[in-house]
Amino acid sequence: MNNIDFYKRVMSVREQRSKAAVATIIRTKGSTPRNTGAKMIVFPNGEIYGTIGGGCGEGEVIEKSFSVIKSGVPSQHQVDLTEGLMYEDGGICGGIMDVFIEPVHNVNDNESLHSISI
Amino acid sequence: MSHRLYEQLSESVSKHQDAALITITDHPDVSVVGSKFLLQKNGTLYDESEFPLELHSEIIKYCLPLLRQNKTKTVQIQLNGKLIECYVEVFPVPSHLIVAGAGHVSEPVAEIGKMLGFYVTVIDDRLKFANDERFPFADEVVCSSYIDFFRNVPITPKTYILLLTRGHKFDVVSLQELLRREESMDVEERTKYIGMIGSRRRIAGVFEQLKNKFADHNFVNIHSPVGLDIGAQTPTEIAISILAEILKIKNSSSGNSLKEKISSYSKLKFRERSKK
Repeated sequence: MNNIDFYKRVMSVREQRSKAAVATIIRTKGSTPRNTGAKMIVFPNGEIYGTIGGGCGEGEVIEKSFSVIKSGVPSQHQVDLTEGLMYEDGGICGGIMDVFIEPVHNVNDNESLHSISI
Repeated sequence: MSHRLYEQLSESVSKHQDAALITITDHPDVSVVGSKFLLQKNGTLYDESEFPLELHSEIIKYCLPLLRQNKTKTVQIQLNGKLIECYVEVFPVPSHLIVAGAGHVSEPVAEIGKMLGFYVTVIDDRLKFANDERFPFADEVVCSSYIDFFRNVPITPKTYILLLTRGHKFDVVSLQELLRREESMDVEERTKYIGMIGSRRRIAGVFEQLKNKFADHNFVNIHSPVGLDIGAQTPTEIAISILAEILKIKNSSSGNSLKEKISSYSKLKFRERSKK
């Protein structure tokens, strides 16, 4: 799957006025299942499109995504895979990744932010 | 992402222009987090909202070098005492896979090539074979003579060419045309990969002729016979073998099994990482 096809899917979710969140790996340290740029869409029923590497780390991010979908406020979540090699199926990689989770806004939401002070 | 920004992004991609999508992932003002920008290689920045020009110029300063290096990365920008974090995602022009010959092997090659993110062109001189029904996954199916096609198709270091035509003479004609064009190009401007199917004997015959005709071409980008040695027999297996080889070249990697990096499992040591 290339990136533009991913955003095509995001836009179609947006146009259907469905609720969902996009989770993107924005930074990694050590050995992680996927690299910076890996993305997935998380739907309120727990279904995902794409993957950020599977396992417990992904499960954690899915959980966090539910609250982002609910609140509509983006947030960052750090997945730590360094602890306990044999812990469930999660820690097999041994790195850390920062994941940015943002809501897929519905059409016309938040599109008219004006004159933001920096 | 606003609809307008998405349209601009997909337009850049379809016009084969590099672009970067920039998202603010951290900012003291939380209402700004999630805002997006689109940056083009010529330095044009599209803004979803209406941020001050001061921020625009900082974003361009930090993100344009990443776009030029094709690097997806998160950067931090200091502006008026505020720390702004931006995730920069580059959308490089996709690599171009050209499959000459629309036979059995070409079908899985086109399909898997598309899955791997290549822009896939299939060319054959027979309309019965070169059509969209047979290649629903290809971006482009061309019906033309091989020589005309290879005389004009753009060649860049992101072009990967496979010669899998029905007859060896068509492969050789195509290869000769490519070598002729590449001889007048700098080595860095040439394609990374020209693969030609064929037996060792046949290939020996071909290069016997070509080595004198194209004395200025070093042949380093020629891969013949095609593919990695994984014992491929069926069209799909052959497609995997060929595309594995193309990925190896594209990613400048060895193509060896990863386990070869480990000498002995029993001598491996695992250390629990101490928390900072």
